[in-house]
Amino acid sequence: MIITVTPNPAIDKIYGIDRLRVDGTTQDEFLTRATWSDTAAGGKGINVSIFLARMGMESVAMGFVGGHTGHVVVRDLRDEGVTTNFVWVQEETRTNVTVLERGREHIPRLINEAGAPVSEQEISRFIRRYKRMVKRASWVVLGGSLPPGVPDDFYKGLADLAKEAGVKVAISAGGKALTQALPACPYLVKPDVRERLSMEGADLSTREGIITAGRGVVAGGVEMIIVSHEFTGDIVITRDAIWEIGARKSATAFKNLVGADDALLGGIIYKLENDSGIEEALRFGMAAAILSAESHQKICRDVGKIETEMEHISLKQG
Amino acid sequence: MKVREIMTRDLTAEEKTIPVRELIFILSSALMSNMPIVDEEGRLIGVISEKDLIKAALPGYFEMLHSTSFIPDMNQLAKKLVQISDDSIEKYMERDFICVEEDDDDLQAADLIIRRNLKSLPVIDKEGRLVGVVKRIDLLEHLL
Repeated sequence: MIITVTPNPAIDKIYGIDRLRVDGTTQDEFLTRATWSDTAAGGKGINVSIFLARMGMESVAMGFVGGHTGHVVVRDLRDEGVTTNFVWVQEETRTNVTVLERGREHIPRLINEAGAPVSEQEISRFIRRYKRMVKRASWVVLGGSLPPGVPDDFYKGLADLAKEAGVKVAISAGGKALTQALPACPYLVKPDVRERLSMEGADLSTREGIITAGRGVVAGGVEMIIVSHEFTGDIVITRDAIWEIGARKSATAFKNLVGADDALLGGIIYKLENDSGIEEALRFGMAAAILSAESHQKICRDVGKIETEMEHISLKQG
Repeated sequence: MKVREIMTRDLTAEEKTIPVRELIFILSSALMSNMPIVDEEGRLIGVISEKDLIKAALPGYFEMLHSTSFIPDMNQLAKKLVQISDDSIEKYMERDFICVEEDDDDLQAADLIIRRNLKSLPVIDKEGRLVGVVKRIDLLEHLL
């Protein structure tokens, strides 16, 4: 069983528009009508769970939810076939808005709320449940930002508990939530570089910077680090090798990048869990990410096409 | 059809040590009418419902509680609830509970829910661990 933890879930509201007008003065200019829209439960761990459910793999989504939007998140996950185990909090789960302009969908505009505050009592309640669940898991995926009230070392504590139980840990996050968890030596880390192309002060904007920083992280005890380098390419560093993985695609072919990173992680974990080698897992993960990015829906629905998509993925060992 | 195919895959459950006050918040937030109680391994050891809490607050009136007209005074119920709010739920939970296994037939779950007038039924695996819940609405949805 795979556990995903999303401490700060969201309703992802995605709007497709023809053109974003930001300096309008007439009514025609300040009103923007959506040409399409999509609403789905979101957050990095949740997206991984949705991907795994579509692959037919069981996962349990955990985290904090509250209010009406919390119920929408839980309902959405159950409809996807994901098992849920959330702690209910006083405040309403956040809504994140993505605006995708036609022809420029590869440059999304995001408005993300901070999230519902979580109290110490609610954190304790979560830890009690997590301790019970982790004993039944083979992987734990810790994903996304931390809501107000949750300490920066939250992921470190969860990673320590998972490692004690002999469970592999993947962390997809940014900032202190990630860097403070590195000493727990998770199996896999994927830094969130959407806001800052850096990690612990290391520059992640160039190939050389990524490799230098990645080697440092792996030397500290992490098995694998995956860093987004270009729209269609990631760099993967392990103890034994460095891989550059890319898709022979144009970024302008992408329709929605939201969740593509999570499909990548979900694809890799899916394959590793099925005893595939690392090279196949990386190619499958990237194919899942590309297929997701090419559809308006957040996570690709037609998972049967991933194997075919792998033909467009290149993997080069550096 | 097996129970696993119609159950709601929700593992919301609490340990017996939490106070009544906390349980009421969780039941209300999660829109649940009863809560499975599990041990540290996730094994089902009991169930506690809204009914059990009312019974705990007003034991003498419980048998007559078919309508609120039998409650002499709402303040009395409120006062009693406050008195028990810091008690652990262990004191009031049902240890002699009804549940089904995930490999049981849906008919067995339906029979229990209808005959015992239950709103939901916990589902366990071979090791006795909670794996989901069959709600009355799940059955209706499944039958339609």
